[in-house]
Amino acid sequence: MQKLEIDEISAGYGGKEVIHNIGLKITEPAIYIVLGPNGAGKTTLFRTIGGILKPFSGRITLDDADLFNSKEARKRIAYLSHLSALPEEMTVFNALKYYADMEGGDIEHSLELLSLSDLKDRKFSSLSQGQKKRVSIGKIFLRERELYLLDEPTSNVDPKISKEIRDIIIKLSKDKFVLYSSHNLYEAREIGKYLILIKNGELKFFDKIENIKTKQYRVGIKALNDISDLLPESEFDNGYYVVTVDNPTAVAKIINDLVHSGAGLTEVRELDNPLQEFFEGE
Amino acid sequence: MSFWQATMKRSVKLSRTYFIMGVLMSVFGTAISNMYSLIPADLLNIEGTSIDLMNSMPLASVSFLSLSALMFSMPVMMLFVFDKNTGVLEYLLSTGLSQFDVYTGYVKASSSLAIILLTFSNVLNTAIGIYIGTDLGFLATIVVLTFAVGLSGVLLGAVSMMAFSSFQKTQLGANQPLGIAIGMVPVLPALLVSFIFPLYALVIIISIAVVTLLFSLALLIFSGRLIPREKLLP
Repeated sequence: MQKLEIDEISAGYGGKEVIHNIGLKITEPAIYIVLGPNGAGKTTLFRTIGGILKPFSGRITLDDADLFNSKEARKRIAYLSHLSALPEEMTVFNALKYYADMEGGDIEHSLELLSLSDLKDRKFSSLSQGQKKRVSIGKIFLRERELYLLDEPTSNVDPKISKEIRDIIIKLSKDKFVLYSSHNLYEAREIGKYLILIKNGELKFFDKIENIKTKQYRVGIKALNDISDLLPESEFDNGYYVVTVDNPTAVAKIINDLVHSGAGLTEVRELDNPLQEFFEGE
Repeated sequence: MSFWQATMKRSVKLSRTYFIMGVLMSVFGTAISNMYSLIPADLLNIEGTSIDLMNSMPLASVSFLSLSALMFSMPVMMLFVFDKNTGVLEYLLSTGLSQFDVYTGYVKASSSLAIILLTFSNVLNTAIGIYIGTDLGFLATIVVLTFAVGLSGVLLGAVSMMAFSSFQKTQLGANQPLGIAIGMVPVLPALLVSFIFPLYALVIIISIAVVTLLFSLALLIFSGRLIPREKLLP
């Protein structure tokens, strides 16, 4: 049974503590969204879990093996930073080979998985930002790992590639731990199962995303007919009748009533992301 | 392919100009070393002067041959800075390498390139020396001195360069070349002492090389403690 245990770690740079006494235990393979404002300590947390930074105090273990002190345990981790971390002067194929030679792995598998075959003879420095990101992601899929630390993997990537990357990660998370930092709340909600919220270097929230309770729900409703009489409390905004309720079950009742009154509903959508509230407190 | 071998290969591809300059300088050093054979004997032993050009000039060439090795291995030192800024070093740390492994990789790569050029220089110099009839013992001394001074200079330059780069506060800081300047410290005395203290030149040059070598190795060994891992991050 896999288990990642972060035991009250504090870490930082030059003796200055950035993350303080963070403790959490992960046992279920899934995508864990690491959320937090800029400078909250997300990258420092990833660097500490990845064995790049030595914790000031505390310990991180993967199946009881200390991640900072055990080279063998570190081989079970993939770390993707927001920089490319690839030799820019090389071709795509050679840049991946650079790491494959050191760590082992299947270059062709990575090229195919990230749709990079057409780019393999191109110089890495000549690629667009999005293409560079794909190659950078390609290096962590050279071989299989058990824990993936992904620091904003879909930044600078177009929507099509972004979706492909998310699909790969979702598939991966069936039997792997994936810690995924993102500023895109919709993406976070779409793919994440758990939320790890970091603020000012402290762990503020760790639970399933579905358990997040929000103060209010705003729902936008579009209909073929005028439904303003049926929804007297609503506001009309940008083609939507906007209704604000305090729990999701109230939405179900409104929809049911509208359907039975023959409103001709064409669209119902949630207007706010529940994760938004975590940023609004800043 | 190991990390240091890959680094050496990358350095060669990164800038061919340094290698061409290194080779040209080693040819120049060889020319200086053997030039005395072209100078008339009465000019080599000028009355009233203590400078023995016949012995001093080949010894002075040691600095040029060593400098060529420093130049030949310079792209490795540049690569360290480049890799730090692009996040390659950060990724290498995540794969399980320690900062000592990283530093050693670049030092091995630069030393290997230096050895390649020093071998080339010495083969060339010795061949020409034998052809013009230079004493074999003297040629062997040049070989020993060139390797001692050249390698100690490269080692000191590489370690200093990485240390300066690691302690650089901003990516655009310009302290890195200081490492190269420091690498020239053991090389320059070889140029001067052969003229100023011809009798003790050999002992002085060897002593400086040994001290430099020991100092650089100590700095490398303690780099893990002296330079924290975070200094390798972009």
